[in-house]
Amino acid sequence: MWQRFSLYDVRVIGHYLGMLVLFSALLMVVPFVTALVFQEWDPAYRYLYSIGIALVVGSLLRFCRIQPGKLNRQQALAVVGLAWIVLGFFCSIPLYNSGHYLTYLDALFDSVSGITTTGASLLVDLDHLSYADNMFRFMMHLLGGLGLIVVALSLGVFGKRAGATLYTSEGRSEHVVPNVIHTTTFIAKVTAWFVLVGTVVVSVMMLASGIEPVRAVLQSLWVAISGFVTGGFAPMQQSVFYYHSFPIEVVLMVLMLLGTISFVIYSEVLRGRVREFFRDIETRTTVIWMVAMVVVFTASLAASTLFSDVPTLLRRGVFVLVSAFTTTGFSVLTTNQLLTVVTSGAFLTLALVMAVGGWAGSTAGGIKIYRVGIIAKSFVSTIKEAVSPDSATVVVAYNHVGRRILSPSVVKEAMTIFIMFVITYVIGALVGIAHGHEATQAIYESVCMTSNGGMIVGIASPGMPMTLELFYILQMWAGRLEFITLLALIVQVVVSVIPRRRFKAQSVTENNEEIQL
Amino acid sequence: MLRGSTSSQVNVSQLPDSSFIYDITIKELSTADSYMDGQTVQVTGEVVGDRILSEPGSSDCWIMLQSDDAGDDSEVAVFMPVTASESIDTYGAYGKRGTTLQVRGTFNLACKEHQGASDLHSDSVAVVSRGSVEELDFNFMRLVPGLVLLMVGSLLLIAFDVIRERQR
Repeated sequence: MWQRFSLYDVRVIGHYLGMLVLFSALLMVVPFVTALVFQEWDPAYRYLYSIGIALVVGSLLRFCRIQPGKLNRQQALAVVGLAWIVLGFFCSIPLYNSGHYLTYLDALFDSVSGITTTGASLLVDLDHLSYADNMFRFMMHLLGGLGLIVVALSLGVFGKRAGATLYTSEGRSEHVVPNVIHTTTFIAKVTAWFVLVGTVVVSVMMLASGIEPVRAVLQSLWVAISGFVTGGFAPMQQSVFYYHSFPIEVVLMVLMLLGTISFVIYSEVLRGRVREFFRDIETRTTVIWMVAMVVVFTASLAASTLFSDVPTLLRRGVFVLVSAFTTTGFSVLTTNQLLTVVTSGAFLTLALVMAVGGWAGSTAGGIKIYRVGIIAKSFVSTIKEAVSPDSATVVVAYNHVGRRILSPSVVKEAMTIFIMFVITYVIGALVGIAHGHEATQAIYESVCMTSNGGMIVGIASPGMPMTLELFYILQMWAGRLEFITLLALIVQVVVSVIPRRRFKAQSVTENNEEIQL
Repeated sequence: MLRGSTSSQVNVSQLPDSSFIYDITIKELSTADSYMDGQTVQVTGEVVGDRILSEPGSSDCWIMLQSDDAGDDSEVAVFMPVTASESIDTYGAYGKRGTTLQVRGTFNLACKEHQGASDLHSDSVAVVSRGSVEELDFNFMRLVPGLVLLMVGSLLLIAFDVIRERQR
């Protein structure tokens, strides 16, 4: 029996969405101030106007329910599920009015891409974009990478009543520290620390390569944010390739890898339990998975006549592999190189690495290494059961912040999400093929969207067909929420909209008896 | 020509002339396949972004050249001596139109010298037109719509708080 949303539920959801819309107004203050500082008047007008719109709409939505009360699970699912797309709409307003998008849908695509940290961009002429607009793109990454709910909770946007239900509804099961508010604050602090250090280090490198101080600091901040939250937006059109700097690439690789480590592990390491990192199922699965993928990718790339030398393999190959594994989307290759120089085997290996993605409880996307590890353990368990006597009880254990026993519910969750990702990858590929694109590119692009990887090859491009663009937006949204929240929301909305069946009182005469049904 | 005349004799030791230059657009270069690798090309475009030294203190640098064609933002990375880059007066950015350069050089689809970078090693650089800076004056009237919305939004926030307090 599916639960329907009542009018009360809709009003409560409206209220909390209003809070998030107000929060997006706060987010837009950052680019507005940036525009004022750099005297970029056109962006200043735009962002003030957009702040006003968000303020008015957010305030009106709050009137849906003056005293909303505590969120129940269904309401929290709806708030979280809708938050990403609702914020996407509001964030697309200033972007579209920048004049750097061919259509409104392209601007919406970029705002959803920014918030979901996919990093794919349909922006035209990025190198002439204002500092304010660029700042906004990376603020969206910061918000989305940390998690809308994480940021909102740590800033007290929802008050104390909504914390736990919203947090778990965002697809987060990892409680870094026992209290949800403390967890969100911890995540924000770790991020701030790494972004700050990354900004300082990369700034020095950019200054040394002759970039002007203001541009060096701003671009460092932006790539540090994008790297740690594994977003993928870059301030310049050629992504990280633009800087032609091996040291910067190394720092960004480190940041990306740090961003893909679970925040729970950070908490354990900071408490002195460093061994937890090395014993964790995700660490071990990552080592096995990446060793295998490095061998396959390198061997495949070496078959290319132009990318076969060792320095090229090490510099270009390792960087794009790390970017794909962390689902960041930074690139040191041009799109043309991805399509013409990189072999099809290496190309599909990158897609596979993106498809699996990074660690659970981190900023990375994809299926998650944790689930791959759990599924692998499940195989082991199945084989053990097959070879053990009937009377034996097979117990398979794993380490994930402590020793745990592999249970059917854990395996079920992992398999369900795994299958949902694979189905979405396939459907997305078919949609791409139906739009006339070549199969390997369609598969790759579909994986980019769903895994929030973002290292696109050009199927997603300015002015692309609307149907394909809408589907890609849906894929980014679904991938970020890891399906369950979104599917639950869709089911509840459909059930709520379809009228209830009314069973009329029927009279049936059988042997002159009336039976009331 | 008479037999034995030196002006008509073929010099069998002469190597093939590889000075054929492709006058090509940056868009075509950005989608070039391996046929263009190692070819001499000539492109024209706007300088955007920054001058980036290949290494701190190096005498070579990178500049990014963007297509001049309307509606096209394709780019190619150009590797040139720092001295050649000194002819650039403006680097394209927000509110700035960069210097337009004509660059002739060797295109590399995956440059061995630069660990697989797709680049253009310049042989000659010429300025086609100077850059420009667009001066935009502050216009308070354009802030008015935003200010009005801010006021309305603020009033709504206050109204909400008042109503909530009364309901308690």
